[in-house]
Amino acid sequence: MIIMRHHKSILSHALLGAASLVMLYPLLWMLASSFRPNAEIFTSISLIPAHPDGSAYPRGWTGLQVPFGRFFWNSAVIALLSVAGNVISCSLAAFAVTRLHFRGRDLCFALMLGTMMIPYQVTLIPQYILFLNLDWVNTILPLVVPKFLAADAFFIFLLAQFFRGIPRELDEAAVMDGCPPWRIYWNIMLPLSLPVLGTVAIFTFIFTWDDFFGPLVYLTDIEAFTVQLGLRGFLDSSGTSDWSAMFAMASLTLAPVLILFVLFQRTLIQGIATTGLK
Amino acid sequence: MARRPLLHAGHAFLLPWFVGFFGLTLGPALASLYLSFTNYDLIQAPGWVGLANYVRILTADAKVAESVRVTLLYVVLSVPFKLGFALAVAMLLNQGMRGLPLYRALFYLPSLLGASVAIATLWRQVFSGDGLLNRVLLIFGIHGASWVSDPDTAIYTLVALSVWQFGSPMIIFLAGLRQLPRDIYEAAALDGATAWYQFWHITIPLLTPVIFFNLVVQTIDAFKAFTPAFIISGGTGGPINATLFYTLYLYQEAFGYLRMGYAAALAWLLVLAIAAVTALAFLSSRRWVHYET
Amino acid sequence: MNAHAMSRRSLLATAAALAASQAFAPDAGAQAATRLRLYWWGGTERAERTNKTAALYTQTHPQVAIAGETVGWGDYWTRLATQAAGRNMPDLVQMDYGYIFEYARRGALLPLDAYLGKELDLSGFDAASIDGGKVDGKIYGVSLGLNSTSLVYDKQEFDRLGLPALDWPVTWEDFAKRMAEATKALKRDGTWATANAGGSGPALEVWLRGRGREMYTPDGKFGGTASDMADWFGYWQDLRASGASAPAEVQALDKSDVDTALISLGKALVSFANSNQLVGYQAVNKSKLDLAMYPAASATAKSGQYLKPSQMLSIAATTKSKEEAVKALSFFVADLEAGKLLGVERGIPASAPVRKAIAPSLDAMAARMSGYIAEIADKVSPLPPPPPRGAGEILALLVRSNETVGFKRATATAAGASFIKEATDILSRG
Repeated sequence: MIIMRHHKSILSHALLGAASLVMLYPLLWMLASSFRPNAEIFTSISLIPAHPDGSAYPRGWTGLQVPFGRFFWNSAVIALLSVAGNVISCSLAAFAVTRLHFRGRDLCFALMLGTMMIPYQVTLIPQYILFLNLDWVNTILPLVVPKFLAADAFFIFLLAQFFRGIPRELDEAAVMDGCPPWRIYWNIMLPLSLPVLGTVAIFTFIFTWDDFFGPLVYLTDIEAFTVQLGLRGFLDSSGTSDWSAMFAMASLTLAPVLILFVLFQRTLIQGIATTGLK
Repeated sequence: MARRPLLHAGHAFLLPWFVGFFGLTLGPALASLYLSFTNYDLIQAPGWVGLANYVRILTADAKVAESVRVTLLYVVLSVPFKLGFALAVAMLLNQGMRGLPLYRALFYLPSLLGASVAIATLWRQVFSGDGLLNRVLLIFGIHGASWVSDPDTAIYTLVALSVWQFGSPMIIFLAGLRQLPRDIYEAAALDGATAWYQFWHITIPLLTPVIFFNLVVQTIDAFKAFTPAFIISGGTGGPINATLFYTLYLYQEAFGYLRMGYAAALAWLLVLAIAAVTALAFLSSRRWVHYET
Repeated sequence: MNAHAMSRRSLLATAAALAASQAFAPDAGAQAATRLRLYWWGGTERAERTNKTAALYTQTHPQVAIAGETVGWGDYWTRLATQAAGRNMPDLVQMDYGYIFEYARRGALLPLDAYLGKELDLSGFDAASIDGGKVDGKIYGVSLGLNSTSLVYDKQEFDRLGLPALDWPVTWEDFAKRMAEATKALKRDGTWATANAGGSGPALEVWLRGRGREMYTPDGKFGGTASDMADWFGYWQDLRASGASAPAEVQALDKSDVDTALISLGKALVSFANSNQLVGYQAVNKSKLDLAMYPAASATAKSGQYLKPSQMLSIAATTKSKEEAVKALSFFVADLEAGKLLGVERGIPASAPVRKAIAPSLDAMAARMSGYIAEIADKVSPLPPPPPRGAGEILALLVRSNETVGFKRATATAAGASFIKEATDILSRG
């Protein structure tokens, strides 16, 4: 029995290990490319640079008019505010559509889903004109304010599905005891949903960190650029690009997200302990 | 009776969303609907053309048919594979084995990379005629095609990219698995239920809300898929329109050829199609999705 | 609990303050009377040169502040179109020869004729250079640099193989033969002598002009016939068959930018490009590259090539400070000191005095580009009629049609006929 378990575990590890290689390859390739001269990047698929050269890192860090650290700071501000906005506003909305009863509830939920279906390519222009009239262009407001207004229906839907999984007896009992809705939301729903709230937080962080199109349109001043805009600053497909510097900075750009993700495992796991109470 | 106070609370909790929906989302959406009946070119004032855009899309535009075919193929292939893969790995990672955080991070890695220029470059190198994949295949004596640039196979490299980036449904499945009550499994184990039985009769039914969520969201996303084709084909949808996703075509019309009115009409037909598919999913969900007991 | 709440509150406060500082940071040069936004595409070197030039201008014109905005070519037009839709275009906009017609004809750009000889000093420009920025008779853009189409090829490898350099004139027929021989001499699996340029608009234009036709007629129709196009696709199909050019599935990797060009991927020795891209190509190639003219119709005919602005500077019709914008534009394109800072990074300056002033300071690569433009000056033809609306879409159609032949989905004859049919449809739609 023990031996079998052991075998099974080895098999799992072997499977996962092999798959990990496929997952890891692009990162290694990116790192390798950041240590290669431009002329080698497109012609070599080996993971080991012929003559490793780290000069792309300082060059990339200082190569644009503004030190790359500035972009990290800008991205971090936008991402953290977005996390706060999404966690608060989307959980409120999800609570309302799953646990409260009011007229037009299903219609609201359908409208939320509906907003997910419109391709952003066609709402971009009217939205840009709207933000321009609010005088928000070239500020982070167009990127952050919608997050506080539950504009991202993906997360409402996600939270709603998980809220639906929480036994109703809990809040119905609380209602009987005269507990007001905001206390049910705060003292029952949120603590029981920590893993999924964590998921919302990390996804929001990653999505905003990786977002390119929004910043491209709304942030024109290089001082306000995010990391993704900064990375594109090294590339000009019609002329001269510094690919090594782009890969160097792209590797650095991954680091905070990766670290956050690994650290975040703990929160996820602690989340279970709470939920496990039931 | 006890529900009375909740009536007003509902609107209070939805207040941020109301403000956002009516203040930021609805206006632009209606504007684009209006523009779909015009010849708007982004620079000059839009002129009303009635149903002309819709008529052309439905009767006279060969590229629409091509892009619908490409998009449907992509939806039908990428969604099931991606979800199946995500669920399988999530189950594997949910066994409480050693090194779990490491694996989880590793499996999420491709999704972290997103659809960036770096990935586009890498994908072209891995799937070109003398690329990494074919060198591996050659070890087994197989001479592979030039996958990424052959019109017969290019779409599959984009499906592969989508499946490879299975991180976010995987994490959501994991979060779902974490929330399953342990005591049911313990009771089942005492009754002598096999792992296979537990999977099909406990895990899957309890997980249906999450499966349903992933299915709906991934399907909507696949219909709207844009970035992978945009970066890998350099915005062309080539070779020979083999990767001309519907939204890529829409984008070309809007920003490449400044026909925003026409693009808006394309977009609203897509919204209709997605809404129909989603509505079907919701209708069917009454039969197979089990919310809390 | 209390401390917890406190820290959370102070965290929120910090975040809010932070957001405010980000959101309302004062604009650069808020104290100057006029603030001009200058928008261009390009890499890091161009950004450095352009910013220095802008700084020099604001030093001597303290009433003006110039805020630079830049992104790469791939993202440039999406952002510009969005800003144009919002009537929020930057005052000074770097323009491309293929796009100026789209923007000017829709009224997005300011006609500059009224300023000529006053705020706008183009006395050092010859007439042809000024004409390059005209749309329907009016000046909408001023050249930031001249260039022309050019083969960029691996001269070092040609020398090593003992192949003759591609010196003018090489006829199309001769080109096909020499490329087939080059591939044979090369004996390298997965590398061909030339990229397949059957999908290249500029190459087709030069070829059509060699036949006495224009790509577009003055009234905006496509200038070639179905049989011209059948010949064109047939020519490139022959090059595939003889091994002279890369096959379709390799050519399809090329997304018509520098980094995916087959010469940069090590899959071809010759690329159909533009002369000002030499530096960009050299940066991603180890071997020494050189420029040569596109093939010729015959050994004695003029080339179908023409000198055109590689980039132009235009002014948005919506600008609030027309005179200041024109003065700044004039500085960028004609001032000697500005010229020294900008160099030939955007192409060879159109102004003769600027060209002269920078000549001593050019490095080898810049000297080569400059030399190329000088060499071809008496071999090229005048500017063609302007491209009509829809010309951009025709370029995409050309790539696709050439691929249908390369992937054996259509014969050259069938592709020629369907190209003309689709092109007519596109141009009539506008």
